Amino acid sequence: MELLGIFKDVGSAASAVERLLGEGFVEAQITSLTSFPYHDGVLVRTNQRTWFRWFTLGSGIIGAGVGFLLAAGTAWLYPVQTGDKPIIALYPTGIVTYELTMLFFMIGTIVGMFLEMKLPNFAQRPNDALITEGCIGISLSIRTGGEQVACGPGVLPTECIGGIALLPASEQKERAEEIMNDAGAVRITTEAQP
Amino acid sequence: MEKITSPYKWGMVIDLDRCTGCAACVVACQAENNVAICAKKEIKEGRNMHWLRIERFWVGEYPDVRVRFLPVLCQHCHDAPCEPVCPVYASYHNPDGLNGQVYNRCVGTRYCGNNCPYAVRVFNFYDHEHAWPKPLDNQLSPDITVRSRGVMEKCTFCIQRIRRAKEEAKGEGRLIRDNEVQPACAQTCPSEALVFGNMADPSSRAARLARSPRRFRLLEHLGTHPSVYYLKGGGREHV
Amino acid sequence: MFEPDFTATKSTGQMNDEMLSSLHTPTWRWYGLALFLAAVVAWGLSAFSYQVCTDMSCTGLDRPVMWGIYIINFVFWIGLSHSGTMVSAILRLSQANWRRPILRAAEAMTVFTVAVGGLFPIIHLGRNWVFFYLIPYPNQRGLWPNFRSPLLWDAMAITTYIIGSSLFLYLGMLPDLAVARDRSRDWRLKLYTVLAMGWRGTAREWVVYHQASTLMAALIIPVAVSVHSIVAWDFAVTVVPGWHSTIFPPYFVIGAIHSGVAAVITLMIIIRKAFHLEKYLTPLHFDNMGKLQLVIALLWSYAYFVDVQTTWYAHEPIEWEVFGFMANRYTIILLLMLLGNSILPIIVLCFKRLRRSIPVMLAVTLLINMGMFIERFLIIVPSLSHKNMPFVWGTYSPSWVELSVTAAAFAGFALMYTIFAKIFPMVAVSDVHEYESQKALLPLGRTRVPSLVGKE
Repeated sequence: MELLGIFKDVGSAASAVERLLGEGFVEAQITSLTSFPYHDGVLVRTNQRTWFRWFTLGSGIIGAGVGFLLAAGTAWLYPVQTGDKPIIALYPTGIVTYELTMLFFMIGTIVGMFLEMKLPNFAQRPNDALITEGCIGISLSIRTGGEQVACGPGVLPTECIGGIALLPASEQKERAEEIMNDAGAVRITTEAQP
Repeated sequence: MEKITSPYKWGMVIDLDRCTGCAACVVACQAENNVAICAKKEIKEGRNMHWLRIERFWVGEYPDVRVRFLPVLCQHCHDAPCEPVCPVYASYHNPDGLNGQVYNRCVGTRYCGNNCPYAVRVFNFYDHEHAWPKPLDNQLSPDITVRSRGVMEKCTFCIQRIRRAKEEAKGEGRLIRDNEVQPACAQTCPSEALVFGNMADPSSRAARLARSPRRFRLLEHLGTHPSVYYLKGGGREHV
Repeated sequence: MFEPDFTATKSTGQMNDEMLSSLHTPTWRWYGLALFLAAVVAWGLSAFSYQVCTDMSCTGLDRPVMWGIYIINFVFWIGLSHSGTMVSAILRLSQANWRRPILRAAEAMTVFTVAVGGLFPIIHLGRNWVFFYLIPYPNQRGLWPNFRSPLLWDAMAITTYIIGSSLFLYLGMLPDLAVARDRSRDWRLKLYTVLAMGWRGTAREWVVYHQASTLMAALIIPVAVSVHSIVAWDFAVTVVPGWHSTIFPPYFVIGAIHSGVAAVITLMIIIRKAFHLEKYLTPLHFDNMGKLQLVIALLWSYAYFVDVQTTWYAHEPIEWEVFGFMANRYTIILLLMLLGNSILPIIVLCFKRLRRSIPVMLAVTLLINMGMFIERFLIIVPSLSHKNMPFVWGTYSPSWVELSVTAAAFAGFALMYTIFAKIFPMVAVSDVHEYESQKALLPLGRTRVPSLVGKE
């Protein structure tokens, strides 16, 4: 179940997040929906590391292979003497390999980016037109079950789950809604996750 | 891959001390190779189709005026600038040392024409396929195509004659003899200024003439290694 | 104690309205413009069909000048395409904040100029209908094209660049497409929904997006440099006197950026007027773009000076013959070129007041592009006119067919741009919002100073 609360400004959204964390929800369950990016930590903290660049690299290596096969491979398959140049020539092979490597790098970046973002996703997910008008959405994914991990030394803040996860979903939702309304939410929508 | 070798390395020697500038070679080339007859308008526009041209230079002041003739045809360079730039391999180097032009592969980028320093390549700007007034079309040689518009062409050392000679020689199990094959221009020249032969055979007439101390090649500083040698008396008469 | 002042002077919704004003239903004026441009394109198409159906004699080409206006157009349009890449990518990577309203216009310009420029290698062919001989595909005769030819490098480079710049444009537009999606109905809603790929703007999506944008910007710059170097090699690897010069690749790249930046400024001025974006494209932006233009103008002048100076000093007969012929026969346009590319920009762009004046910037940038078109002409035609064998020296003047196709190219570009501006956001909306949200007036000492949220 996903809960989306719309807030008019940074202050109210941030205080809503703080109180949700205090209630026992985990940072990983909370994310912000904004029409422009905020500095990390202003609303939520996210993992800044991405893996799509490995995809880019792999793509580029394939591109280099394709380029080399095109320039050198086709010349080897169909050797025609032109001028005093060798059949497989250094500079032309280099140039064509370079161009196709860059092409595959760029395609790989876009494809990798979408894969990591898990897009395209045309399923009905909570979204609100007010967000494009500058409001901030705070989205909370409610999870049930799971072990309670006490917050203490040696446990990362993102790992400790308070007793909130033991409660049934409907009760978690009620508490979250109450917190959001207190903080000044303009609208709260709920969407059951598939 | 293995380099294809050939016992032939065609070349030509042009003796400028014998050339009278009569241009019979130009007419012979046109007749042999289905070269288009161009209208005056086309020639004025700089779009003539001559595969072989006689360049004429006036030297000196009256009354000490002299005229120099320079027949210029495709030099069949060993390091031809026109070959590597063709994107579709329409211009290539064949094992006999000729620069070949494949008409049906040419897409007409004209890069080869730009890169030829001797400007011997001509482009079919006009549609000459249908420009042979009757009964001149009876004169067309069946051994060679009539090029369509948009295609580059140039002197081939009458490759159709070379091919025919090769076939005959192969049938008889021998190599082509010296002077057996003559391109149309060499055949026609009344003063025997043009001599064609196999440069790989040191005893051929062309190879012997090419060792003359009077020899020079056009635009040698460009390093194109042309197959055409010119002979001219040394001293201040050198073109 | 003073509180930091975060309130924007305008709400986000209001700014969205202004920045997306171009997406409104087209007016009769827009239709009129689009129809006029389409008519010019149709005229050019008919001229081109005439050329294809009859023969190449309707062009001005001859022996020895076998490349003319079509190749000049090719180099010119590919040069213009360096606008978006350089402006957008470099400014992104250097984190220059004044880039934000300019990005979209520049990136869109890149895509459309490459599209137009990439048509010319097919237009100039003698047998256009067999252009596919250049495409490397396995066929039953075992034929492959010649990768040793610079024209094939052109084909590879332009394919790479057009795909790369389209992806770059799309990437930049992704969050704005989501904004547009949330504000539209019927066919537009469907279009933006599909294109926005379900983007919601979650924090994680923004992190990945930001890293991908930076990476794309870093990747597209070397591609842009290589594309115009390869176009330069079309000339530099030949034995044509005046072309065989090692400075050509850097010289062409600099020339491309020169004409590209000028074109972006021109386009910005037009968009600003047409879509009432006066508050987003302020004199500050033109000031900064003017400074960039000045740097490039100086670089171009340096490269040209070097090219001519070495030719003059060594005085190789045939090379100097080419330059002498150019200076003699084309004196007026040579002077126009030097004035437009070099003298005028360098003098005018030194002054802040002139840089901030929109009419002055419009005049200067239009003259720069006029100068760059002339420069391409003066590189290609004089060298070919006077090659190594004086008996075949010739001249060239463009014919009505070539000029019609040129006009159609300009009109086609303008038409594509006009349609694009109607359908897609012309200003990088989310970028501008990001900047606005990060600005604040901080109390420092006796007054408040503007400050900006930044990374360490």
